[in-house]
This record gives sequence, structure tokens and C-alpha cells, in this order.
Amino acid sequence: MPWKLLFRNVLGHPMRSVLTIGSVAVAVFLVCILHAVTAGLRSTVSAASADRLLVQSAVSLFVDLPLSYQQKMAGVPGIEAICKWQWFGGRYEQDKGGFFQQFGIDTDTFRTSYPEISLIDGSYEEFVKNRTACLIGTELAEKYDWRVGQTVPITGTIYQRTDGKAWEFLVAGIYESSSPSIDQQTLWFHFDYLHESLEAGGASGPEGVGVYMLRMAKGTDPISVQRTVDAMFENGPQRVNTTTEAEFNRQFVSMLGDVPSLLQMVGGAVLFAIFFAVLNTMIMAGRERTRDLGIMKAIGFTDRTTALLLVGESVLVCSLGAAVGILGGLLLEKPFQAAMSSFIPAFAFDKNTLLLGAAIALGTGLISGLVPGWRAARLTTVQALREVG
Amino acid sequence: MSTSIDIRSVTKTYHRGGEALRVLDELELQMAGGTFYALMGPSGSGKTTLLNLIGGLDHADSGEVLVGDEDLTQLDGSALAQWRAENVGFIFQGFNLLPVLSARENVELPLLLAPLSKRQRREQAERALELVGLQDRMDHKPRELSGGQEQRVAIARAIASDPQIILADEPTGDLDRTTADSVLELLQRLNRELDKTILMVTHDPQAASYAGKVIHLDKGKLGRIDDNTAAARN
Repeated sequence: MPWKLLFRNVLGHPMRSVLTIGSVAVAVFLVCILHAVTAGLRSTVSAASADRLLVQSAVSLFVDLPLSYQQKMAGVPGIEAICKWQWFGGRYEQDKGGFFQQFGIDTDTFRTSYPEISLIDGSYEEFVKNRTACLIGTELAEKYDWRVGQTVPITGTIYQRTDGKAWEFLVAGIYESSSPSIDQQTLWFHFDYLHESLEAGGASGPEGVGVYMLRMAKGTDPISVQRTVDAMFENGPQRVNTTTEAEFNRQFVSMLGDVPSLLQMVGGAVLFAIFFAVLNTMIMAGRERTRDLGIMKAIGFTDRTTALLLVGESVLVCSLGAAVGILGGLLLEKPFQAAMSSFIPAFAFDKNTLLLGAAIALGTGLISGLVPGWRAARLTTVQALREVG
Repeated sequence: MSTSIDIRSVTKTYHRGGEALRVLDELELQMAGGTFYALMGPSGSGKTTLLNLIGGLDHADSGEVLVGDEDLTQLDGSALAQWRAENVGFIFQGFNLLPVLSARENVELPLLLAPLSKRQRREQAERALELVGLQDRMDHKPRELSGGQEQRVAIARAIASDPQIILADEPTGDLDRTTADSVLELLQRLNRELDKTILMVTHDPQAASYAGKVIHLDKGKLGRIDDNTAAARN
């Protein structure tokens, strides 16, 4: 195999090669990103805890449930703890365009219900003790350079203070999560702080609870609890829908439509377009090289070698594209992770994502090279030389 | 030992647009080894077709093409490719160098098919380029060479693997007279000093005068063979 000729042929048309490598690189990069997103979404769903159930309004996630439900549910056999979750929807004063989640929770049951969360700084006791305290994720702390002991101003978009000022939360702890179902960019604060402010007229906004988390005792049948809770509020005032955490996450993801399928379709379309672009380039390269192929055959190179030369060129170009795309992906993984961690905590370029990108590029190269390669093999020396002039 | 060529009752017909065109018609021709032949004749007389058959680039419809001891009509595609690599050097009118390779790399190309080390290939290519007087142009790409220099590189490529037969199709067709003469002198030297059998297709009587014998083809048959004694004496 004349390797030098193969490399020289690629370098012989630098602009064409750079553009083809660039287009493959962009495609591989996109496919890797899309795959990381879909894998991240699936991972978020599959990492959900099996001993937690979530109770939401049967009408919509955006309809709050009455506070009184907590006490009623506490009597259901098998429920060990209940934790309220209320979406706050605030914005950091100094970065109003930035997004991160804030939830009001029950401090007494939150920690034991989410063992995957551990504090790396501060203390949970301080969090419990101080009514205006909050816990923040490591990525959020890093993003805004927040530290334990600092007071952070959050402007409410749903819950606004009547004095027109921002809510102030004291950072009592910084957590990290060992599970992709909990992201590292959330701020948790006392549900009671919010509730009491509303009660006292210090703030305005809807009263109620967005979601109740039910932690079940070991050995409890979740279906039985689900049925009992749903039946308990069958006649109102607000019907509920009790689901497993995995199902809740899945529904949350599906609120955006069938994202994984959509992303796969986009990825497929990108690949399809790039395949034809590379195929077209290689067919052009093969035609341009008809004379060279004729010369090589006349010299004594076999049909197989001349075909492999074109297949090899195609594979080389696509491999270089894959390398650039994967390298770009690895370099941009952190910024992408930071941007997406609120929505997809498990976003990451794992080994499978990189292998997929490389395999797609190699496959594209191989198939794109086979067409001109097959033509080169079939071309007789006399035909090829006749095309010389 | 020089290689003789024996064409026995060879017929070749091309089909174009539903029409059969008999280019070689029961051709009989014997060529001695170590001789410089010019092949002349009007367009369509079968010169290039005969050259292609002797070079193993094409198959005869019938008859035998014996080059040395080998009957080329009995060889399949890959066997013919191997035979070409070992026995024939080609020189074309349009030089036909690979533009992405340097002069040395072009000459090295046929040597990739021989069991040689990288160093041996390089040395052999450099010797061939020295023989054609291009020792100072080895690293130049074809576009950096003149037409005459390109054809010399093509000749160096044709002789690099030391084949017994050199087949040249209008090798001076794209060259000016002076350059053409120097290329023809080079071919003559290869024949005389290295005992190569050379078959050169040409329309140019002056180019043919460099050959020892001139074969005239007419409508696919042998017309006559002239013994070019003047050229032989030179």
C-alpha cells in the first residue's frame, strides 16, 4: 500500500481536505453532544431512587396542593417521611439572565430522604437552625463564587417580597450529589421561611405545595402507597397523581416533548447530510484521480490496491474529522456541563459517546470510500489512460 | 538477457456505438530482444492497441502475445499486474507523473511493488534519475519541472525497476524538437547501453529515425519493417 501517496493525496487539496475534515468534525461533535444529552436524560431517569414517591396535582405540575395534605398522608402505612418541595423561580440579583433552581423544602426530613447528598462545606445543623439559611450545590457555588456564611440576594419572580427587596438567603452549606438525578446547581431553603413570609404578609405569591416527596419504609409496596394516596384525595379538593421518582423524572423530561427521539432524529439528519457531503467529495476525488489510477495500474498496482487507496483516503479524512470533533467535545465538555447541569445533571462525554463518534466517522469514511473505490477497481487501465486525453 | 516479443495471429476488436471496429486483424509480428523499434502508421492502424497488448494493459480477442516465455493471453488481471511490475516500463505522451509526489517519489512508485527496503528503493530511484540527468531535480514536484524534465522523470520511472521492455506511446509528442531529440537520444542510450527492448509508437519520422527498426502498421496488419541502419550506425 503506497501510504505516502495516500497522505499526499489528502494534503494535495488542502482546502478541500480541511473543509471535509471540518464538516466531519462538526458532525461528530454534534452527535457526541446529542448522545451525551440523551444519555444524560436517560441516566437522570434511571438513577432515581426506588424508595421515594412524588405526589403532584393530577391536573398539572403547575397546580399547587393544599398544605393540609401532608398531615393526611402521614397516616398512610409505609410512609416514613414526607418532604415538601416548592418551586421558587427566583433570579440572582447580579445575574438575572442566569438560571438555576431554588426549592423550599422541609429541613427536618430532607437530609434523611436524600442520602445521595453530602455536604462538603458548612453544616446541616446551621442550615436547620437558621430560618433564612440555604444549601447550594458545588457548581452553583463555583459559578457565582458563593461561600458558606455569605448572604445571597434572590429576586422572586413568583414570590415577591412586599417591601420590594430581594429575598436574602444565608449560605449554610455546600453540597455535592453522588447521583445524576440531583444536580449540583440547586439552592434549597426552608419551606417554612417562604410560608411564614406569605402568612405574615411579607411576601405575595401562591400558597401551597408543588410536590410532596414520600419516603417509604423498607419493604413497602410502592403501588399500594400510590393507590392509597391517590384514593385519599379522589374527591378533592385537589386530586393527586402519585408516581415513582423515575416516572416523575420521565414525565418532567417528556414535558419538553420526546427529547431523546428528537435529538436522535437531528443527529441522524446531520449524519445523513455529512455522509453525502463526504461521499460527494470522495467521488470527485476518485474522478479527478482517474489518470493517476491508470498510471498506477499500468505500473503494476492491482485493482485492489487502487481501490484501497481511495477507501483509505476517505477513512483517513473522516478519522481526522473524528479526532478533531472528539477533541473539541472533550475541550468543551466542562462548559457544556456547566450550562446544562440544571437540566441534565448527568451530561457527560463518556467512553460510549466517544466510541460512537469515532465509529460513525469511520463508518462514514468507509462507506464513502467504497463507491469511488469500487469504480477504481472496475476501471481498466486502458479506459483510465484514455481519459488522459 | 534481452526479451523478444512474438505476436501470433492476434485480433482485437472494439465495439463502439453498436459498431464493431477491428483494430488488429490476425496480426503476425516478431520482435527481437534488445532492439529499439519504432511503431508507425496512420491513426486507427492499431499502434496503441498493439502497445497495450504487449504491455499487458489489454487482452487480445484471439491469438497469442508472447513476451519472453510468457503468453500474456493466459494471465488474469492480477497476474498481468504483477507481470507488468516486473517486466515493463511505460512512457506516455503526457508524461503522466503523479502531481502530489516529487520526482524521486514518482520514480520510487514502481519500486514499492518490488521486495526492496526503503533505502534500496531510494538509492535505485536516485540512480535512475542520475541516469536521465536529473540528479539536481529529485525533490521537485512535476509542476516545478519543464516538459522535457518531466518526460525524463517518466523515463527514470520506467527504468527504475530495471524492466527488460520499455513501451513508449508518443513520448515526444508534447515536446519541442530540441527536447524531443534529447529524450530520444536517452532512449537510444538505454537500448544500447542497457540492452533494453524498446517499442515506441510515433507519428514523427524524425523520432522514428532514432530506432533501429521501424514497424509500419496499416489497418491492423503488418505493412513492412524498415531496418533503420543509419540510426543503428549512430
